[in-house]
Amino acid sequence: MIANAEALLKPLTIKGLTIRNRVMSTSHAPGYGKDGKPQERYQLYHMEKAKGGIGLTMFGGSSSVAIDSPAAPWNQISVADDSVIPYFQQFAERVHAHGAKVMIQLTHMGRRTKWDTEHWLPTLSASIRREPTSRTIPRAMDKNDIRRVVKAFAEAARRCKEGGLDGCEISAAHGHLVDQFWSPSVNQRTDEYGGSLENRMRFGIEVLEAMREATGGDYVIGMRMSGDEMIADGLSHEDCVAIASEYARRGLVDFLNVMGGQARDEMAHAVSLPNMSFPVAPFLYLPSAIKREVDVPIFHAQRVTDLATGARAVAEGHVDMIAMTRAHIADPHLVKKLMEGRDDDIRQCVGAGYCIDRIYVGGDALCLQNAATGREATMPHIIPKAEVARKVVVVGAGPAGLEAARVSAERGHSVVLFEKEPVVGGQINIAAKATWREALSGIPRWLHSQVAKKGVDLRLGREATEADVRAEKPDVVIVATGGMPDPGHEKGREHAVSTWDILTGKVEPTGSVLLYDEIGGHNAASTAEFLAKKGCLVELVTHDLQIAQEVGTTNKPVHLRELYKLGVVMTPNTELTEIYPEGNRLIAVLRNTMTDAEEERVIDRVVVEHGTRPVDGLFEALRGASVNDGETDLDALVAGRPQRWTGQPGFALYRVGDAWTGRNIHAALYDSLRLCKDL
Amino acid sequence: MTDTALALALLVLAMAVVAGALAARRARLWRAGRAARVDWLDGLAALPKRYLVDVHHVVGRDPYAARMHALAAGGLLAGSALALAGLVPLLGNARLYWWIVALAFAAALAGGFMVGRRRLPVKPARLSGGRFQRLPLLLAAYAAGGFLVALDASLGGALRPFAFVGLALAAVGGIGLARQLDRGPMRHAFAGAAHLVAHPRPDRFEGKPATALAPLDLDAPRLGVATPADFTFNRLIGFDACIQCGRCETACPAFAAGQPLNPKRLIQDLAAAIQPNATNAAYAGSPYPNARPVAGIGGPDKPLVGTGAMIHPDTLWSCTTCRACVEECPMMIEHVDAIVDLRRFQTLELGALPVKAAPPLMELRYADEPGGRPLGARTDFAAGLTLPLMAAKGEADVLLWLGEGAYELRYGRTLRALITLLQKAGVDFAVLGAEERDCGDLARRLGDEATFQRLARDNIATLARYRFSRILTADPHALHALRNEYRAFGGAYEVVHHSAFLDELVAAGRLPVGALGGARVTYHDPCYLGRYNGEVDAPRRLLDRLGLERLEMERSGRRSMCCGGGGGAPVSDIEGERRIPDIRMGQASATGAAIVAVACPQCSAMLEGVTGARPDVADIAELVLMAVEAAPAAARAETLA
Repeated sequence: MIANAEALLKPLTIKGLTIRNRVMSTSHAPGYGKDGKPQERYQLYHMEKAKGGIGLTMFGGSSSVAIDSPAAPWNQISVADDSVIPYFQQFAERVHAHGAKVMIQLTHMGRRTKWDTEHWLPTLSASIRREPTSRTIPRAMDKNDIRRVVKAFAEAARRCKEGGLDGCEISAAHGHLVDQFWSPSVNQRTDEYGGSLENRMRFGIEVLEAMREATGGDYVIGMRMSGDEMIADGLSHEDCVAIASEYARRGLVDFLNVMGGQARDEMAHAVSLPNMSFPVAPFLYLPSAIKREVDVPIFHAQRVTDLATGARAVAEGHVDMIAMTRAHIADPHLVKKLMEGRDDDIRQCVGAGYCIDRIYVGGDALCLQNAATGREATMPHIIPKAEVARKVVVVGAGPAGLEAARVSAERGHSVVLFEKEPVVGGQINIAAKATWREALSGIPRWLHSQVAKKGVDLRLGREATEADVRAEKPDVVIVATGGMPDPGHEKGREHAVSTWDILTGKVEPTGSVLLYDEIGGHNAASTAEFLAKKGCLVELVTHDLQIAQEVGTTNKPVHLRELYKLGVVMTPNTELTEIYPEGNRLIAVLRNTMTDAEEERVIDRVVVEHGTRPVDGLFEALRGASVNDGETDLDALVAGRPQRWTGQPGFALYRVGDAWTGRNIHAALYDSLRLCKDL
Repeated sequence: MTDTALALALLVLAMAVVAGALAARRARLWRAGRAARVDWLDGLAALPKRYLVDVHHVVGRDPYAARMHALAAGGLLAGSALALAGLVPLLGNARLYWWIVALAFAAALAGGFMVGRRRLPVKPARLSGGRFQRLPLLLAAYAAGGFLVALDASLGGALRPFAFVGLALAAVGGIGLARQLDRGPMRHAFAGAAHLVAHPRPDRFEGKPATALAPLDLDAPRLGVATPADFTFNRLIGFDACIQCGRCETACPAFAAGQPLNPKRLIQDLAAAIQPNATNAAYAGSPYPNARPVAGIGGPDKPLVGTGAMIHPDTLWSCTTCRACVEECPMMIEHVDAIVDLRRFQTLELGALPVKAAPPLMELRYADEPGGRPLGARTDFAAGLTLPLMAAKGEADVLLWLGEGAYELRYGRTLRALITLLQKAGVDFAVLGAEERDCGDLARRLGDEATFQRLARDNIATLARYRFSRILTADPHALHALRNEYRAFGGAYEVVHHSAFLDELVAAGRLPVGALGGARVTYHDPCYLGRYNGEVDAPRRLLDRLGLERLEMERSGRRSMCCGGGGGAPVSDIEGERRIPDIRMGQASATGAAIVAVACPQCSAMLEGVTGARPDVADIAELVLMAVEAAPAAARAETLA
């Protein structure tokens, strides 16, 4: 049992609205919106948290109040007209049925959006100044714009109330329109909306006053804001305290949802959504300071990944509600597990940022380590028991194999899990050796604890042979033997070593190292950082347009920051074509992919990253004896039906994860979950 | 009648005179005690039943001891009385009569041998040595002697030389026995009889619950017991009744945990202390485990507790008030009453509590709650559930008393399960919410009678504002206070424990339950439910309805072992060698059960605190909820079949 748990399990009443506990999820934009509406997928995702015991779930991050703040192109929610109200009603019913409260975030993005989409309307802000992240230059709002947007906020608030939502907040954080007015880094107006802080606060005050008027005053309305913009020309902490105090004093807000930083450029954005390189709750001091100045409840989110930290934040009086948004993406049932004394069963967010990184490239939010999140309509968070108990043999205890063993054991099957290494985790153990990526080890740690708890017969240090597998007389064999580094295609590739060799310590290079990457993931970037920290002179070369091209927006800036700090030479748009030895050194031949110009490097080591190739020896050995010739019925897999060989005499053979094809952790887990949930 | 038979009769007479004198001397010491209202006539009339039924009910749990006592005591009394009656010429001259006398002494001899066999060659630890170890010899000598004399008389003097030897033996044994009357084992005979007549809790012989502590007059010049003279005289008799059989010591959880409490030794210290210039030197049983040093001296007006007295304070605070000693005592001694009387003086007059026990009492005084938490936070555990408040409803069929466990995270789960069940069954219930104060159990057991009485009166005043037919609680401590102890302050309620209530609901079909798949479960009886309130059947009946395989621990029902959570022991926290809950959990594990079913927040907390591999702890309400939730699935399975 965690310390101070009782502090989390106390109700909080805001204006007659009683929230059953102090744990919440802040509004975010998982990309589940459809036609600008929160439809079934979006609703089920939040209903799962309600089932899991959360007190308050807030949805619809950056839900738009006006048509010049487009929502639909990013699968977000538009509250700009009444057609959304029935969806809100259905949403509220679903969440309320499980005892939680539900609210939405309303905003106008101002300059933090695009003009070249949906309605092709110009973007707006307090003044004309480009936002680096969106690369948008807005026009300065005139009085008509201000009147129209204020009214739009009011109309949107009315729609929330009519939709049965328990409340709403406006976003005045992450550089949205209200805080664009506040921040001197954007607002250079000379009228009554610019200049002094009092003037800069005016627009937000008008917005909230109009919303109050439209909702009758008894409706819960809060505000998300920064506690310190942390930029030279932005809002200081003192400015933020002054704003919070003034808005609270005027009775405009029923709660304040305080975060740290802002998001106008790549690095600021990454800092405002701290990944695993940050300590937990890095900005807790900001809501704590504001709580001392105002008498409305304070909410806070920002890398509160574990209940113990959340409980401490509430028990020590820093905040009234602790938001564990990404923590709920990893485990929507975490409050229920706390209440049931099963806090050991909580799948803790590792801070990989996979969920949020996907949405900034137009994808849907998915959890690196929980394949059921966001797929509630098809994937169960609680695995139901199978009607017939079977014997399942899983080979390989990396993420795919562990998940296959876990889900099969939850189904009530008898499971044997072979692993040739003395520890579980597979490639994650290698990835986790790279400096701040260490937190990835939480993924196999949880899976290991679950398979142990569910009685899986785990045979570590045992490389399964065909005979070993058949001796178990299995009904199902799942091969999750993972992959081995792809050596690549360069001429002279035998002179190169892999990133695995570096991270596992098999090779300990000194001197100058050329690291060539054709994956664009964390692998090469984190290995480059690892090498540089060990004292090597590193050049990171990639075929891609930029370093770590595939890494998302909350992680890539951290990689780049570290590589810049360590003096790693970054060379994109360049292909490694040949390696050959000269004396006791190596020559790497590079080709600029734009100009075809060739150049050479004289270095001590070449390290390459080409991903993995499946390890399929055991699979091929077993294929002939299996009832399905090792085939997976893809239609059944996608439709959520049992594989058609299920129940036939003999054993069916499947492969999952990188043993099927090298991809990522989420893919490995999803392979196993969707196969095994129907076994 | 032979001359030796005549001499035997006169010996018995002499023994009676010696015994009478010693008994009178001892009885004079009892007069130091305070007056108590005793219905002597009723007591005397009830004596045979109290002895033959109530005492023998306890003695009979050890069949060897029961036979031993029947033979030794019966033979001794019958032989002596018959020998004395031989002075009547008509009887004394009948040879057949002496056959009967010889038979009685033969029975006593057999009893004497059994006493010896039990103690020799190795004395079990629970039995006392010293004078007790000489008892079989004296008994055997007297009985053998009497037998020889009577046998000779029955044969008309044909065994005259043996009769002389017999007479000598009888004289040595008989006078020896008689001299034991004030301080030796034989004291239990007359003090025990007197105790049965003048028992401080006569109701316990009438099948009534007689476990409520007696209210303390808070205006009395001295609160609680400081010296032997502060006890009422009939409690002093009770201490003298102890036969040092050690059954209490075997049952005592604190003793088992190596804490410095041995109920037998405690009673002996109390009994020894009533003499002027008393010492504890004569005691020859097992000591207090890890005994803290004390002077071991006292007197009727000398303090009982303290390092310079008879009893170390740690001994007093080791008690969990579980009543296992009382339950096991064949002499019907009320150990727990004595301990609480002593605690009352320590707490109310001296403020001499264990350091960690003082803060909860302070909080109770100021906040009506031992953790100092706001009363309104008592219902925090139920946030998200609809919890009807009495203040809003005014009346309800059932008033749900939440108790202290409501503040605790683990136990909140139990209460949520119970509330969910009440809702599913459509029970009309309500809680007091912020109006519920602590029931006062902790204060009372820790000797803070003033706080208990205030809490009781305040709670009674609150309850008086509402209409309800029954109080339901999952906390046996609250149940005991509300059902049995509030009565003395004008609060008479029908109080039902959740195990009995849920049993009613399931039996009436208001809670359809599915089977829990034969999981192996063992039920741990809460002391305040089983021993204090005699409720051992309903929880078992209920568990049996859930499709569980129920296994019994070696100690169960009224003879169950405490979890260590009662009597303020968790806050007194007296150091021992082991933890009581670890011992109890060991007994649960030994049954092979996967689940220990509990029915009390204290038991739940104590047993959940046991580390390492062990059965899961689940309250009965949680198990019922699991079974109720399993019900539709089971029904579905039937449909499919």
